[in-house]
Amino acid sequence: MVNTEIIQRSPIRNLEKSIHGGLGKGNIGVLASRKGVGKTACLVHIATDKLLQKRPVIHVSYASRVDYIITWYEEILKELSKKKGMKAASEFHDDIIKNRVIMNFNQDGAKTEQVLRSLEAMIIHGNFAADTIIVDGFDFVQGTPEDIRKFKEFAARLGLEVWFSASLKGDDPLFDDKGVAFMLHNYLGTIDVLISLRHESGIVRLDLVKAHDLPVSDKLRLRLDPKTLLIAKAGNPPVRE
Amino acid sequence: MKTDIAKMRNIGISAHIDSGKTTLTERILFYCKKIHKIHEVKGKDGVGATMDSMDLERERGITIASATTNVQWADHSINIIDTPGHVDFTIEVERSLRVLDGAVLVLCSVGGVQSQTITVDRQLKRYRVPRIAFINKLDRTGANPYKVKDQLVEKLGHNAVLMQIPIGLESNLRGIVDLTSMKAYYFDGPDGEIIREEEIPFGLLEEARRKREEMLDSVSMASDELMTAVLEDRATEDLIHKAVRKGTISRELTPVFMGSAYKNKGIQLLLDGVVRYLPDPSDVESTALDLENEGHETKLKADPSAPTVALAFKLEDGPYGQLTYIRIYQGRIQKGSELFNNRSRQRFKVGRLVRMHADSMEDIQEAECGDIVALFGIECASGDTFVTPGLNLTMTSIYVPEPVISLAINPADNASADRMAKALLRFTKEDPTFRSYVDPESNETIIQGMGELHLDVYIERMKREYRAEVLTGKPQVAYREAIVRKVDFDYTHKKQTGGAGQFARVIGSLEPLAKGNYEFVNNVKGGRIPKEFIPACDRGFQTGLKKGQLIGFPVIGIRVTLDDGQSHPVDSSDLAFQTAAQGAFRQAYPKAKPQILEPIMKVSVEGPTEFAGHVFGSINQRRGVIASSIEDGTFSRVDAEVPLAEMFGYSTVLRSLTQGKAEFTMEFLKYGRVPGQVAEFLMAKQQEKRKKGASK
Repeated sequence: MVNTEIIQRSPIRNLEKSIHGGLGKGNIGVLASRKGVGKTACLVHIATDKLLQKRPVIHVSYASRVDYIITWYEEILKELSKKKGMKAASEFHDDIIKNRVIMNFNQDGAKTEQVLRSLEAMIIHGNFAADTIIVDGFDFVQGTPEDIRKFKEFAARLGLEVWFSASLKGDDPLFDDKGVAFMLHNYLGTIDVLISLRHESGIVRLDLVKAHDLPVSDKLRLRLDPKTLLIAKAGNPPVRE
Repeated sequence: MKTDIAKMRNIGISAHIDSGKTTLTERILFYCKKIHKIHEVKGKDGVGATMDSMDLERERGITIASATTNVQWADHSINIIDTPGHVDFTIEVERSLRVLDGAVLVLCSVGGVQSQTITVDRQLKRYRVPRIAFINKLDRTGANPYKVKDQLVEKLGHNAVLMQIPIGLESNLRGIVDLTSMKAYYFDGPDGEIIREEEIPFGLLEEARRKREEMLDSVSMASDELMTAVLEDRATEDLIHKAVRKGTISRELTPVFMGSAYKNKGIQLLLDGVVRYLPDPSDVESTALDLENEGHETKLKADPSAPTVALAFKLEDGPYGQLTYIRIYQGRIQKGSELFNNRSRQRFKVGRLVRMHADSMEDIQEAECGDIVALFGIECASGDTFVTPGLNLTMTSIYVPEPVISLAINPADNASADRMAKALLRFTKEDPTFRSYVDPESNETIIQGMGELHLDVYIERMKREYRAEVLTGKPQVAYREAIVRKVDFDYTHKKQTGGAGQFARVIGSLEPLAKGNYEFVNNVKGGRIPKEFIPACDRGFQTGLKKGQLIGFPVIGIRVTLDDGQSHPVDSSDLAFQTAAQGAFRQAYPKAKPQILEPIMKVSVEGPTEFAGHVFGSINQRRGVIASSIEDGTFSRVDAEVPLAEMFGYSTVLRSLTQGKAEFTMEFLKYGRVPGQVAEFLMAKQQEKRKKGASK
């Protein structure tokens, strides 16, 4: 299968359709769930989709070690190529490395201003023309909506789309009746697209909660394949072995 | 003096360049009564630390060559192999690591784990060397041993376990609490040589108890015996030591010690740790290759009565002649006994056998397996194996990376020419990653090595040690050529010039090979090319590979398949087939879409976060690809892949961009394709060179 076909048939296209043509420049998207449900896998899948289109991505991480993140990308690429019968993953491997920068911050030491300064240095001095930023591990409990607003301003100024993961903590229920996590209520104003990941009868479902202040038209028919950790169309139930 | 093998230790001290390794070594020598006075690095007293024996090292404040020295501590004999920290001298480090049984990984309590620490640690991992960590410089402002311990876990993936905690920090550093004995230790006397044991200060007791719990939790994972004892609240010091030793040797945990070498605090406790937790030679499995059994690995016995096997790991031109450092793996070596060098196939007699201290030595009569000693006046190269005559074993060849950079050098005057030749002979023997040859085209001497600094050091040494003044050219990158497409060839070599003629025809294909440099496949059926001529074809192709047609650099990653051919009963010969193969290669190569490859280096730049932008920019300007950047408070590290050709002079650039506050390391990563414009430039240069050669 050729590359373009893989991109066209990607479930990420369904996601983009549901959120009215994609996240878009200057906007903030958030994937929210409890720890260990699959946020990082989703983020890496979204990033890999961009990378396969040769669009540069900066992956910002607040916690994980760089080699751990790289392993995520290798795994996701391996699964993608297995599934889609992509020729040799190694062919894309070089493109992915060339178009991806991982920036790791220790949040105790890094303020949002500093993170943005370093991002800007990478994009401008490093001449790295990113159009997507992936932010994994930002602490929405310690952080404030002001932090996200700064990210949003930055994204608008430099023409970027930014995907966050939000790790939900606390006792059940985590979500209100509209599916918005209680923890994110204060943030809702600055978030453009919000997706919740939830375990439900053995599968992880992706629920679209907010989409650019437009009505959420239909259910986001996506789930996370428990075996490959890839985002998949929800039509066919997961194969049980 | 004979030592029980269980009381022998061969250890290295590995570290980042400024973590105080030399000072630490100096203190160890002092407390083991090997030296009577302490000197500082870059000697304020003009003497310099004892382990740095070369002037150059003294001047730069770094250790280049690995000297080894023997000390006694707590009834144990410890051989310390001083390993260089700078990555440009990797082969020296790797060779030293080969003969180590254990290592002390020194870390700065302020700087923590830095890129060189990571490199050195990776090397220790490759040779499966068990290690204990020592967090040095607790007296410095900003010292934080807990942070460094966390970095050991996070950045190096060690299961690091604090065995001690400090009493006070920075300028208030007073002593060390040992979590095993639960006692406080202070270091009195002008040089900290008097150890005073006391109860733990009341204010620290709670903290010490908590840290001891943590320690016991981690250590008991390595020992069921200790786990049970902890649960029943009867964990004795002995049980803990036993469990830590077991965990350290199996590399499941890294005990962490701390102190300040400069302030003479904690060194004696570290030495106790070396003796307690690092393995003796019999704990470590050594293997050799059995040449009589197709080079299969065979285990060596740490038995002094077995036949001798020893490895020459280091040559040194000392003031007393050539010294060969050896590690004895099996059997014993006696003065006057006979040994056999398995590479040169020569017998020799052991004249003088000595135990070394950096600049002085002690004559000994005998040494047994596990020990590290030196021989005098033996003709050999480093990496040679010495055995009892009749034994056909060789130690596995030490991993030697290919040089990535070369430099033309010319003697400044006639007197220097001889000296330069002598120096080159010596250096190439000492260091397998340093090579030299005379380029037949330009008639210049070319030296090759692992980096700019690597070559610089040898040029300096030529001047200082051999008084050879040399003029250097511009550094040259070791390019390679490779093909992209499979092509067929069908080539006939025919020559009739009276007398015996020449005839050979070869048919087959060239194709890219994903792994390896060269593969030759013989598919000729039915004797179309007689069997005896096949090796000649192979040789012919290999000759072609030596010089690619684009820019004259070696061709790598190619498979040659020989499918068919033709021969003549009278006119075919080895020479004819060799010539035919060369001709076939010359003809087919340009059609196989050849391209130029260049060495790509893995570069790590470390420095204050405020300069990150400059660092990104400098890498971008050098055709580099940034893989990651890690920011930890005010400190940042950037990892990138950069072509070697763009890295010349980078240290100067980086220094000026960052006010000297950032530093970088690099090592060879892979060969990568040269971009079109650069390739064109290189080819134009090659043509010019050819034209010049033709017009000469």
